[in-house]
Formats: sequence, C-alpha cells, structure tokens
Amino acid sequence: MTWLVWRQHRNQAYFAAAALVAFAVLVLITGLQMASQYHSALTACTVSHSCGNLANTLTLGTPLLSLLVTLTVVVPCLLGLFWGAPLVAREFETGTSQFAWMQSISRGRWLTAKVGWALLAAAAWGGAVSALVTWWSSPANALNQQNFQPGQFDIQGIVPVGYAVFAVALGIAAGTILRRTLPALAVTLGVFVFLRLVIGQDLRSHYLTAVTVIYRFGHAWRHPTGSYWLIAQGLIGPGGHALNTPASFSGAAVNGVPIAEIPATCRALAFQPNLKLTSCLASRGYHGFISYQPASRYWAFQGIETGIFVLLAAALIAVTAIVVLRRDA
Amino acid sequence: MISFRLDGRSVVPPYLQIVQQVRQALRMGVLDVGDKLPTVREVVGATAVNPNTVLKAYRDLEREGLVEPRAGHGTFVVGRPPGPPPGTHALLARSLGQWVRGAREAGLDDESIESLLRITLRAAAEEETA
Amino acid sequence: MTDFQSAALPAIATRGLAKHYRKRTALTDCTITVPEGRISALIGPNGAGKTTLLRLLAGLATPTAGEVAVLGATPGRDLALLAEIGFVAQEIPLYRRMSAEDHIRMGARLNPRWDGASVRQRLESLSIPLDQAVGTLSGGQQAQVALMLSLGKRPRLLLLDEPVAALDPLARRQFLATLAEAVAAGGLTAVLSSHLIADLERTCDHLILLAASRVQLCGDIDTLLAEHQVLVGPRKDTTAIERDHTLVHAVRTARQVTLLIRRKGPVIDPAFEAADVSLEELVLGYMGQDAPPAFAHLTSVGEDQ
Repeated sequence: MTWLVWRQHRNQAYFAAAALVAFAVLVLITGLQMASQYHSALTACTVSHSCGNLANTLTLGTPLLSLLVTLTVVVPCLLGLFWGAPLVAREFETGTSQFAWMQSISRGRWLTAKVGWALLAAAAWGGAVSALVTWWSSPANALNQQNFQPGQFDIQGIVPVGYAVFAVALGIAAGTILRRTLPALAVTLGVFVFLRLVIGQDLRSHYLTAVTVIYRFGHAWRHPTGSYWLIAQGLIGPGGHALNTPASFSGAAVNGVPIAEIPATCRALAFQPNLKLTSCLASRGYHGFISYQPASRYWAFQGIETGIFVLLAAALIAVTAIVVLRRDA
Repeated sequence: MISFRLDGRSVVPPYLQIVQQVRQALRMGVLDVGDKLPTVREVVGATAVNPNTVLKAYRDLEREGLVEPRAGHGTFVVGRPPGPPPGTHALLARSLGQWVRGAREAGLDDESIESLLRITLRAAAEEETA
Repeated sequence: MTDFQSAALPAIATRGLAKHYRKRTALTDCTITVPEGRISALIGPNGAGKTTLLRLLAGLATPTAGEVAVLGATPGRDLALLAEIGFVAQEIPLYRRMSAEDHIRMGARLNPRWDGASVRQRLESLSIPLDQAVGTLSGGQQAQVALMLSLGKRPRLLLLDEPVAALDPLARRQFLATLAEAVAAGGLTAVLSSHLIADLERTCDHLILLAASRVQLCGDIDTLLAEHQVLVGPRKDTTAIERDHTLVHAVRTARQVTLLIRRKGPVIDPAFEAADVSLEELVLGYMGQDAPPAFAHLTSVGEDQ
C-alpha cells in the first residue's frame, strides 16, 4: 500500500521537494548574509555603546525578501488544497477507490496508508519551511523582538506544523464528504481561512490570562522586556475603569487612547513633551495600564495553538474514517 | 487436430453443431480412430463457447460410441459413425466437384444444379422401391 | 468439473434483496441463485438495477433489506471473501497515470493470490503495451487491461458490469474466450451484464433477467428456453391458454395473435402454431412489458426445490 501511495503521488512529491529546495537555497544564502550583517553591526555598536538604538538604525534584508518570507503563511493552506482535498475525492471521482477496495485490502488499511503518509508529509513540509523561516528570522527576532506578534508568530516555531496537518486533514475530510475535488477545494479554503483568522485573532490572546500592569504616572515601573506581545493599553480614569480604546481607532491618540477621551483640562498638553501630559493626568487621578503576554510565554502559546489545530485535525480524520468505512463505495 | 466453427445464427444448437462436425470429420477422414479431440479448454479458448456446451457435446458423442474419455489424457476417438469408409466421402466429393465444374461450363446455374440433383435423388428413390 | 446441478454451495444466493435510495428504489425483492461454475448473463434495460445488484454482490454497497450470500459468506463484511471476488465497473476505473505493469505490481502487493505472469502474457498476446500510462490507451485496450487484471486476482467469482461494451467484435470474442477458458479451468463463476445477446447466447449458460428493478427470470438458459413457447394463431379468445399457462407477452394485430407463454403443461390447441423460443425473443418478451407482480416471486429454475 505504501508503494501504491508513493507511485500515485510521486510527481506531487518531486514538485514539492523542488520548491522546498529552491526556497531553502534562497533562505540559506540570504539568512547567512543577514546574520553576518547583524553580528558585525552588533560588534560595532558594542564598541560605540549605541546598541540600545540598533533597532532603529539597522535594517536587515530587503522589503521584497521579507514579504516573501511573510508569505510562507500560505504554505499550510496550499498543502491542504493540493495534497488534502484531492486525496480521497479524486479517487471517488475516477472510481479508483472502488478499484482499490476490490484488491483484497480493507478500506481501513487503504485509508490509513493514504492519510498517514499525507499527514506525515504535511508535518514534514510545514516543519521544514518553518525551521528555515525561524532560523532565517533569528537575527531579526533578536533585533526587533517581534516574533510573538501576529504575522511572525504564525510562520515561526511549531505552529506551521499544526496548521499544515490541520489543513491537509480538512482537505481530506471535505473531499471524503463531498466526493468531488472542486467543491472540496472551495470548502477547504473557506473553512481554513476562517478558522485561522478566528483562532489567531480572537482566541489566541486568551490562551493564558494576560498580565495587566497598572502604573502610576511619575513613578518608575518596569516595562516588559523581550518579545512580549502587547494586547491592550490605555488609561484608567479616577473611577477605576479603563477609558474607551476602540480597537479600530487609528486617529490621534495618546497611549492608545483617542485624544477626545482625555480629560479636557489635560488635552492641551497632549502633544507637548510627555512629562507635562502625564503629570497632568496623574494629578487628576489617572493611571496607565498595559495588558500583555510576556515573552517567556512564547513557547507555551506555540504549544497551545499547535495542540488546538492538531486536535481539530484528529477530529476531522475520525469523521473521515467513519464516512469511508460506513458509506457505500 | 480438428477445429470447430460455430454458427451463432444457425437453428442448430451449438452443442449439436459440435457433434455434427465431429461426425462429419470422421466421415471425411479428417479424424480417425485413436485421434485426440481438443480439450474443453482448447475449444472454449478458440470459440468462446460455454464449457458446458462442449461437455454436453462430448458426452453425446460418448453415448453414441464415437469417443471415450481417458482420465488424465483427454478424449479419444474410438469409433466411426455408420456409413461408408472414411475415404469414400472425399473421393465422391472430388468426382462431384468435377461434375459441378462440367455443369457450370455447360451453362447451368446453382438453382438449376440443385433442382437437377433433387429430381435425380427422387428418381433414384423411385427406382429403389420399384 | 461438473455441469450437473450442483448440490454444493451456490456461488450466489440472495433472498428478498432490496436497495432503496432516498428518491428511488434501485432493486426490490430480488431472490436469485447462481450455481458454481456458471457463466451467468445479467440482462435488463438501463436503470433496471443491474449495476446495483452487482455492487451489492461485490460488497461495495450494503442492502437496505434482504440477504445476500456470496460463496457462503456475506460480502462487504468478510475480508477473506474480498480476495475471492473480482469486480470490474462499467467506467473501467484504473489509475490513469500508471502503466499496466504498475497495476500488475500493485496487484501482487495487495492480493494474497496473484498471477501476474498470466496477466502479462495475455496482454502481450493482445499487443497491449505494458509500460505506457493506461490513460493513453484506447477505450477497448483499457477494458482489456481491467478485465485481465481482474482475472489475475484468481477470484472464485467474477462480476463484470458491461465489460465488453467498449470492445470491437474481435476483442469481444477474445475476451469472452479468455473468460470461458478460465471458467473451464475450474473454480470460477462469472456474472456479466451486457446488452449483446448474441455474445451472451454463445458464452453464457445461466440467465438473470431484471426489469423494473425486479427479477423476472433466473435460471439455466436451456431449461428456461425449454419451458417457454411462442404460439402464433388467428385472432381469437385466448383465455383458455392464459388460464392453463403463464402469459408473458402478447402481440395482437387485427388478424393474428402472437403469444409468448411459460408452459405449465402441454399446449393443446390446434389453432395455434408452436415454435421454440430464442434467447432474444425470451428476453425481449419479458422486458417489453410492466412487471406483473406474479414474477416477483419466481425462484430459480433448474434447481432442486
């Protein structure tokens, strides 16, 4: 059965391997270049004691290259569409599933071989791309501390493996239930994008309760360090409740709070050097707050999100198995 | 070795066609006592006819005393159908062929030849009874 | 190999088999028996349930009602039985990008009993290239590949859904010869559905006739033909005949009446001329009418009751 799976999907594997190799070559060349660029800049700034400002002065790589790397976020989805959706659906469409099932092997054995290898390949490819991207990003991560941010979080670490396995499982399930490749492609794309957005944007910030720090203006307080993930920030009024910080607000704001919400008496000072505004607010009983996920929780979050997608994948495979084993050929 | 030709459109059932062709082969001398008939598999492979049909034909021939199965070796011819010795048919066929050629040269078509043959057969039958 | 009515296990035995879908009924009240060693013709108009019956026998579909036993076991549930049944669907499913040789290798890995050498030899004798992608072969050649592969599995029951439809007359004859030879070698029963009565007449010795999703006839062809008769006579009252025998089909013109009957005894009516029935007439007679309920309860003929 392994031989058959290989023989059927041989060309797909070759193509994907070629693409991976090409990507790896690009990543390795540019990554080494960026790493050496970073290290020499680091050496230079250590000498001149200006390393604190390095993030503002040093740009690693080119915008085009960064864009390409950011686009690897679509890799799991592509795997789901090209490897997952047609895996079973194509066989139903051409009738080869019927042919295979009359070859003295049980449907369970057939499905296990196909699904097993597909998920393994998905994990391998997703993992390889992610490993390359993570390695390539390590100077940028050290420099900019952005790897916990949405966008970077999704393409580094182990979550891409979870996404890939889920996407392929989703494609397989859709193909099995719908029995046709084209509808399965549409459903896979739609459901995958939807779930990734919902989980990434809405659910992720709640995996662990965010750390909230309320600070008094004028007093020293410890800013979070490293690649922390800022969830929310704003002002807390004298009554103790946070001022309105609409998520989509993109106009003039201070500390995340729209100018209009700042008490009138202090508003005039909004654009003067910070000290004047903060002491005005402090004297009125205002505090600042930030909610964030500390950098130390990065791997916990990676693990939780990967786990969620792997569980979803397992559920989809279970559904697939039930449908294949119970339904008429 | 004899090969069978089965006419799907004949009113004669296939198994009977096989029986008749074996009998005819024996009369013509194509088959003789001691010869081996093709196996059921060989006949089936050549004509796509159902194996049971061949079996039925061979059993009929066995009942008529013309053939005999020998376990492990095949079916062999053991007798001839009643009638003139094998060469006779071939001989008569040759002289008949010559006569037909002569009749054609004389200008007779097939229908005339057939009706002439019928008249002659009838006359011969009357002669015998007379 | 014996052609006597086998007292041993029949290759196929169904009772009251039915398959209902949400919108339509594909098969109802199907009770048939096919003894071992038969080559059975499955005949019927399109949509009569032939493909459904074959899929139920192969275990690819499960019945809505009734029982089905193939070689003594229930298909679809018994994995060991799967190795004994060969099935070729009408669409000739093959892996289009793989060659015939690939299919043969696959068969060797996935089947416990596999005779790849005979498949190769048969395909070579038909001049079918072994290392070309089967998707590039002609329809007839693909059918030959599928059929030879099904024989390579060495099944004890072979189910073929319109197998010769795509073949030219020579290829048809060659395939039927190969099939009949495999049956002659022993241990194989075959059921093939087809519309080509001339082929079926030559190669088949058993008949299953479906019409309106029901079994109209099931039995050995010789016996069925002997039991039926065509009566041709002047147009007159036929109630006596219809009472004494079973009327299958009647054609009445202004002057003449032609009856196809299933005899329950001798026909004693000097007004009518009796003639033997050909397989084609029998099939057309049963297919050319709405199924009277009486035929639904036919059991196999030629079997010990």
